[in-house]
Amino acid sequence: MRVLLVEDDDLIAHGIQAGLRARGLTVDGVKTAAQAETTLSAVHCDVVILDLGLPDEDGMSLLQRWRADDMALPVLVLTARDAVEDRVAGLRAGADDYLLKPFDLDELVARLHALLRRAAGRSVATIEQGALRLDPERGEVSLHGRPVVLSRRELALLGALLHARGRILSVDQLKDSLYGFSEEIESNALNVHIHHLRRKLGADLIETVRGVGYRFNMGDA
Amino acid sequence: MSLRLRLLLMIGVSLSLLWGGVAVWMLRDLDDEMRRTLDQRLAMSARMVAGLISQNPAAWDTRSGTAGASTLTVPATAKGLACQVSSLRGEVLARTPGATSAAIATTTPGFAEREIDGERWRSYTVEAHGLRITTADRLAERNTLLRDVMAAAIVPFVVALIGSLMMLWIGVRSGLVPLERLRQALARRAPDALTPIPDAPMPRELQPLVGTLNQLLERMRVTISRERRFTSDAAHELRTPLTALKTHLQVARITHGKDAETALDYAEEGASRLQYTLQQLLTLAQVEGPFSWDESQRTYTDEVACLAMRDAAPDAPERVVLESDDPPVELALPQALAVTALRNLLDNALRHAPAHHSVELKIQSAHDTVCFRVCDSGPGLTPAELTRVTQRFWRRDAGRGSGLGLAIVVAVTERCGGSLALVQRPTGGLEASLTLPRAKRGSPLVS
Repeated sequence: MRVLLVEDDDLIAHGIQAGLRARGLTVDGVKTAAQAETTLSAVHCDVVILDLGLPDEDGMSLLQRWRADDMALPVLVLTARDAVEDRVAGLRAGADDYLLKPFDLDELVARLHALLRRAAGRSVATIEQGALRLDPERGEVSLHGRPVVLSRRELALLGALLHARGRILSVDQLKDSLYGFSEEIESNALNVHIHHLRRKLGADLIETVRGVGYRFNMGDA
Repeated sequence: MSLRLRLLLMIGVSLSLLWGGVAVWMLRDLDDEMRRTLDQRLAMSARMVAGLISQNPAAWDTRSGTAGASTLTVPATAKGLACQVSSLRGEVLARTPGATSAAIATTTPGFAEREIDGERWRSYTVEAHGLRITTADRLAERNTLLRDVMAAAIVPFVVALIGSLMMLWIGVRSGLVPLERLRQALARRAPDALTPIPDAPMPRELQPLVGTLNQLLERMRVTISRERRFTSDAAHELRTPLTALKTHLQVARITHGKDAETALDYAEEGASRLQYTLQQLLTLAQVEGPFSWDESQRTYTDEVACLAMRDAAPDAPERVVLESDDPPVELALPQALAVTALRNLLDNALRHAPAHHSVELKIQSAHDTVCFRVCDSGPGLTPAELTRVTQRFWRRDAGRGSGLGLAIVVAVTERCGGSLALVQRPTGGLEASLTLPRAKRGSPLVS
């Protein structure tokens, strides 16, 4: 899952990025509303964490503008203002969830996963496909009931493929959900991760569509 | 005492006293006039009888000769009124019934008053043509007549007075209705309602009151909303470093090795920021609040500069260049306040000046003030930023400083009567001039 974090305070942004990465999420951090818009138009994100006190524009008006432009991404608003009217205004402006600073990192991660789950139309925390079972929140995978240990990137890759439900994902799309834009990507890194996944979960689980990308084999997993 | 009662008492009492006085005055005049009129009538009756007799004095001459053997009795004309005609020798020639001889046996002409058989009579005697004519009034009758006249005059008067008092009560009551309506409107308000009182149609006299009340409400609303905003801002300012601290501690717990160490370093930075913000908030509260500072110690410019420089640049004291030709002078404010204000200015200058660039501090004494000038070679401020820079929690970029430094300096100058001026230097950078008052008691000291 790729998260866009819009937060102007360096110290907090560092903390959230480190925490979410440690929890297996891919995070892009930006500091201003303008940067956030540029990022959203350039890369695919699954969820946005938005701080309301931004230097160039109030987070609330940015959110309203997004919603007016039919931006459908789930947005979690992060704020230090705890008045009820602030929260109501945030939700009215189109926030999907609201978290008050200071928050618990685990709670933030759980809420992000819940947002994503709701956006995907699922009501349970785990994704099951045949004998494969993925709990994105805990980062646990099992095949035929036996736990499989996956690395952070492999988990993210599996999550992205499962979320697509058999749709073909291009190499760029897969890279987007695996790496933040500040991270160095080696040219064959994606192939290596696909290779590892096939080795751990079975060769025919991930199908290669030549010249297009990859897709999860929904037939018999 | 209620306004209504005051009005009723004031108007009611003065009305009653005034009209009571007028009534007494009028009744006394009436009494005198009545008595004089009755006396005149008595005298006139006597003269009238004398006039009648003068038309045929002969008849009375013969009668006077018969020495009162048969007294001529005239029918009674009025109750309590008597008349007697007698010769100058004292023989009674004619008299009305009911008039005892003694009652009118007066020999001296003119008015007389005497008591006969327990009743007082007033008489008038006139002598003409050898006869003595006396008319008399019973005073009891007269007094009854006077009382009747008085009563006839006084009853309508009292009724009118009572009536006007009642009208007064009703008038005051209805006249005060708008005031009562205003009171009810105020009593019905929620305790935290600071919206203006609606200017419903109301008497002209109440409009200034309502206007003043609305101004007061507006001032209160502004003050309260400013305080609320400050509280909310303060909470925000404390939450931000607290969030950083908490997040990094949690990251440190779930990561290992270098990541965990970095997280702990960040957490420590968050803790220092929290500490700094808290300190600045407390300082601001102390400067603005009613706290008293230690004023026993005298404050001298050189000590203030020295302490502020030490606080602002403990690691690199050479970055502040002090320039002062004048001998140290005493300042009229507690040392701690002066040091705090100057340190905040130096802090800002050092923070915004390029690294390894020094900051100038000049001290200039004037007749009754001392000016501390802090000049840096940083980026300075735009005119728009200059207007906002002393606002609480304003910072140019997030995460640096508490946003309270200049607000504290302004609070210090407001408390001691100094001033702060920020000017963009033509050569670049900012010049902050902090003017503080000099102590009156001391003369410049030579160190």
